[in-house]
Amino acid sequence: MIKLILTDIAILTVVSVFFAILLVIAQRFLSNYGILKININGKRDVSVKGGNSLLSSLSEEQIFIPSACGGRGSCGACKCKVIEGGGPLLPTEKPLLTKAEMDSGIRLACQVKVKTEIKIDIPESIFNIRRFKTRIAKIEDYTYDTKGITFELLEPGTISFKAGQYMQLETQPYGKVKQKVVRAYSISSGPQNDKQFQLIIRLVPEGMCTTWVHNYLKEGDEVYLTGPYGDFFIRDTDADIIFVAGGSGKAPIKSMLEDLEVKGTDRKMTYFFGARTTKDLYLTEYMQHFEQVLPTFQYIPVLSHPSADENWNGRTGFVMPFFKEVMRDPKNTEAYLCGSPGMINAVTKALVEMGVPTEKIYYDSFG
Amino acid sequence: MKQTPLELRITKKMQPGVITLNGFLGNDDRHFHEIIADDEKTLEKLGYTAEQVAERMQYFTDLSWEFYEQPVEVEGKYAVETEIVRGKLPCPFSHPGVYRKAFTILTNTETGVTIRWSSLNLHLIKAHHFFEGKGSTYRLDPELLVKTLF
Amino acid sequence: MDISAFVLFWAAIFTSNILLTNFLGMCSYLSVSREVESSFGLGVAVIFVLTITAGLNWLAYHYLLVPFHIEYLQYIVFIIVIAAFVQLLELIIERYAPALYYSLGIFLPLITVNCAIFGVSLFLVIREYNFLQSIAFGAGSGIGWLLAILMLAGIRTKLKDKLIPVGLRGAGISLIITGIMALGFIGFSGIVAVQ
Repeated sequence: MIKLILTDIAILTVVSVFFAILLVIAQRFLSNYGILKININGKRDVSVKGGNSLLSSLSEEQIFIPSACGGRGSCGACKCKVIEGGGPLLPTEKPLLTKAEMDSGIRLACQVKVKTEIKIDIPESIFNIRRFKTRIAKIEDYTYDTKGITFELLEPGTISFKAGQYMQLETQPYGKVKQKVVRAYSISSGPQNDKQFQLIIRLVPEGMCTTWVHNYLKEGDEVYLTGPYGDFFIRDTDADIIFVAGGSGKAPIKSMLEDLEVKGTDRKMTYFFGARTTKDLYLTEYMQHFEQVLPTFQYIPVLSHPSADENWNGRTGFVMPFFKEVMRDPKNTEAYLCGSPGMINAVTKALVEMGVPTEKIYYDSFG
Repeated sequence: MKQTPLELRITKKMQPGVITLNGFLGNDDRHFHEIIADDEKTLEKLGYTAEQVAERMQYFTDLSWEFYEQPVEVEGKYAVETEIVRGKLPCPFSHPGVYRKAFTILTNTETGVTIRWSSLNLHLIKAHHFFEGKGSTYRLDPELLVKTLF
Repeated sequence: MDISAFVLFWAAIFTSNILLTNFLGMCSYLSVSREVESSFGLGVAVIFVLTITAGLNWLAYHYLLVPFHIEYLQYIVFIIVIAAFVQLLELIIERYAPALYYSLGIFLPLITVNCAIFGVSLFLVIREYNFLQSIAFGAGSGIGWLLAILMLAGIRTKLKDKLIPVGLRGAGISLIITGIMALGFIGFSGIVAVQ
């Protein structure tokens, strides 16, 4: 009986092993495409192992084309232009592409396999997106609920971003939170220093990421971030600028100002910082420093709920009524807003009423 | 009590640290079905439905949304204000979409009671009749709601 | 079984259609039958794999399982043969026939778990077909399956903008249509005996 069982198992094993070996050998010879080159935007060549999808080959080279479904061909987010070497359009791609896209060579990067040398075009902004390993260099307390955190880049060692863009921060599991959480925060430092960057993070009551940042992070900790993302940056025109941002919304504006301090500008700029009380004001001296180095810049903090014992002699109420103090020509004014949807809603309404064209109002709405 | 896979998934999402830091159930050890059923009974006794309560809440939320960061007086006895912080939350019942962390803060000046609800609270009451478990930070007691809102 | 391979081939297509009389291979039949084009691709892949695995499994049964008296392991061995063959086939056509791969390749992994393939392998053992009959039966069943999925895909395309009760949309109406088609195919029964 035992002998019978053993022979049966042996035969089955031999059959399975035979097929397994056959497949391994076949895979070895049939799917070996060697090292292939992907040419990106006609600028950079990356060498990848052939046979994998374009999406995963690029992400191994730290180039992250957005993808929501993880390469299953169901979200259509990973569209990119393949100029040469993509092979014919697949039935899995057709439902997600429009006629115009098919004609211009747009493909789904998760479906295109790299089997020959391939030439692609991707937006410059994606080109810069990386996952960064960083170390926390400095944590500064700005207010009772707002911290500025400086991340020193470890790997890769430099970052290229536009002032106003944001990073995605990954938390580690802590306390009751058992999984990783990913949240976006605007970069608050200028792009000239490419070895590090700063984020300004305000504590959200019971927020899973901000609680981690405020209560668990220490200087010297290693943190992973992905980015930069976003199209909230100063347009290169000569129009007057109105910045409106409260709370941690100051982050992208600070980055823009640091950038302008280096580049220089003679555009008339006014920054309205809306806060509830004096306790919510921060970096005031630094903003006054910008008024010194940028003669056309003015910083106007406005408090909505100053208490009597605070001795506030600045402007009070909403920021909107003060726009007319600085507005020269509404048609030639750009507005950059960063903050809660409620604030952006109210400010946009006021600006449009004053005659600022809607398309010149740029905003980064959180929430 | 035996749970279906869907119920298990919902209960899991209501635990602390999954969608919100402290969860939706507080220190309530009843099943979410029982919480919903008990609160529905309470409302029935008071002569209201969850839909009516949600509609009333929505009315205040929409009114105060128009007035940014400024309490607005409604019907002579309510002061309503909207406060928005960063972030969005999904529904633990796996409804599509995310809900902004936008809070409506309502004070009934006659009784002096202040209640606050988020846009997720509003959705949970409207679509699921769920007022959250006892001891949860965002629990809205139906009795208190009715007393304050109507 | 003394039936000519030629007759068996036609019988497998019409009188004992694997899908409409045995209801095998339903999962991919229901899920891929939304468009005629992809149904055709999948159907061709099924014909291809069915024909060859029928032959391979016949060989495996008569030259491996019978000599060692381990017929009871046929389920496992057949599955291994089918899975390995489909994998191998995918690799080969991906490398040497890219055009074919682009039309067929994505459907191949789907077929590994298609019960029609496995069903045919089991039928040829139960019904004691010889090698040639097995091949003919495999090919015929494949064509029959293609025929069935093409018919359903055609009907579903026509139904796309028709008002169907909400509860019946998708799989529900497809199963009802399949049932009606199967009734139609009962008309062929009794013309040829396949077992």
